[in-house]
Amino acid sequence: MTTTTEPRVPEASPSAPLISVRDLSVAYDVARTGKRLIAIEGVDLDVHEGEFVTVLGPSGCGKTTFMNVVAGLVKPSTGTVLVDGSPVTGPGPDRAVVFQDYALLPWRTVFDNVKFGLEMQKELRGDGWRDRVQEAIELVGLAGFESSYPRELSGGMQQRVGLARAFVAEPRILLMDEPLGAVDALTREVMRDEIDKLIQKTGKTVLFITHSIEEAILLGDRIVVFKSHPGAIKEVIETGLERPRSERSVQHDPRFLELRDHLWDALQGEATAAAVSK
Amino acid sequence: MSVTSATGTMRIVRPRRVVRRDEAKWTWLLIGVVAAILLVWEAAVSWLHLVPEAFLPPPTAVAASFAQLMVDPAFWQAFAYSLTNVVIGLVLAIVVGVVVGLAVGWSAALRFTVAPFLWLLYSTPKVALAPLFILALGLGSASKIALVFLLAVFPIILNTMEGAVTVGGSLVNAGRVYGVNGLALGWKVIFPATLPYSLSGIQRGAALAFTGEVLGEFLGGTGGLGHMLEFAAYQFEMAEAIALVIVMVIIANLTLLLISTLRRRLAPWYDDRKIAGAS
Ligand SMILES: Nc1ncnc2c1ncn2[C@@H]1O[C@H](COP(=O)(O)OP(=O)(O)OP(=O)(O)O)[C@@H](O)[C@H]1O
Ligand SMILES: [Mg+2]
Repeated sequence: MTTTTEPRVPEASPSAPLISVRDLSVAYDVARTGKRLIAIEGVDLDVHEGEFVTVLGPSGCGKTTFMNVVAGLVKPSTGTVLVDGSPVTGPGPDRAVVFQDYALLPWRTVFDNVKFGLEMQKELRGDGWRDRVQEAIELVGLAGFESSYPRELSGGMQQRVGLARAFVAEPRILLMDEPLGAVDALTREVMRDEIDKLIQKTGKTVLFITHSIEEAILLGDRIVVFKSHPGAIKEVIETGLERPRSERSVQHDPRFLELRDHLWDALQGEATAAAVSK
Repeated sequence: MSVTSATGTMRIVRPRRVVRRDEAKWTWLLIGVVAAILLVWEAAVSWLHLVPEAFLPPPTAVAASFAQLMVDPAFWQAFAYSLTNVVIGLVLAIVVGVVVGLAVGWSAALRFTVAPFLWLLYSTPKVALAPLFILALGLGSASKIALVFLLAVFPIILNTMEGAVTVGGSLVNAGRVYGVNGLALGWKVIFPATLPYSLSGIQRGAALAFTGEVLGEFLGGTGGLGHMLEFAAYQFEMAEAIALVIVMVIIANLTLLLISTLRRRLAPWYDDRKIAGAS
């Protein structure tokens, strides 16, 4: 029966998409060789308000590049990216990013790094922001480490600081680049469920890059599969699984198993193709 | 490095400790070598008379001279004169060096137009310009301060610039995502991130600053430790001359120590070894 469950956002949504990407290509100038490297080409994607979209794909296929364009950090070579109807010209308070390489400020404590998410917001004038920062730190399970410096934390803990920094900014759109990549398996499961709960509660729109097929299925309303050479969208799949989902509840769900096998084949084909073309 | 103890728990053995103990060993060796050299020197001059004392006074005579200097008001006056010039020149070099370095490192346009000239000037033997400075600015403090500034400013600019270029990328992106732009980006992200690079440049600059001061006083000065040294040499007061050189070595090393301590305090996240050529 889960196979026929309506996705949370119907395909033919009457409202305009919150994120709208059309014919997007990004090419990098590689100074060393003087050539242009096409990172992604011809990407089309609509993401509606409140949708959780997970992104899967082999390493180097342009997932981070794609997310950086939506974040306003990388300019498209061709094509357009609209957020809430207007073209993206740079970063904005409606979008927060969890960076793949954490990008924490090494001279700031955990507390002050999380506070960086609010740095330029007016709330900082009052005193309420302290509670917000503290809440975000607790949410990612780093209570007690407020005054530690990034260099004193493990990779997974640093990654969670990056998550808290994005959460505290309370953006409309969360862009997460492998936010659990460095976290251990157990914490990863806990964090995944926390993220899921938080997103369902707050109704945020999410782009979530991951290398884990299970994570992509468990979290996503839709899964975008990228291919490489050049980077492009291979397919977009509606998960159509009932929420709340947990690893245990979906384990024997035929839809879950079907999706998992399908994604496995798709990604393995990509990985082999990538390896051969190298 | 980690060691599994009998109970099976992981015990962290700090590699740092090991390095420290190693360093202590080298320190003792160094002290031993210096003592041996002093002993041979004393023996060669005072006991075996291999070298006339007028050319090379024995360590005991140098030590006596040093003690005399320490109670000589003229010495302290010269000391204050030199140090004031060095400090003024160095502070100017730090301010200008950090600001110019950040600007050139940050702006691609400046980097491609100004940076080549900076490298050119850096590699020019500025010592050769010293007589021109004396001619243009006179025998007083101004010419010394200018020399100190000129010698110290380039390593500071170039190191800061290198830092600003290296930092770039990911932290700047984080800043931009959270709305930190323009001057705030410079102040909150780029400046602290380049600080360890600047400090390493300041350390090199400080060493050169002292050279600049002494050189200026040699070439034409009315006071200062370099002037005093030159005077002692003319008078053939070799013990005093050597004692003055030792004073200069001490001052230079104290400055370097001060700056490296400062760097460790201000930028503890930065591993010294990551900065090429820093020390
Ligand atoms: N700043 C850049 N300059 C030049 N080339 C770049 C740059 N950033 C990315 N690339 C290239 O673009 C391609 C896509 O990179 P991207 O980081 O988007 O991949 P990814 O899918 O996020 O990979 P991963 O899963 O390993 O994080 C790669 O071939 C990479 O070498
Ligand atoms: Mg990536």
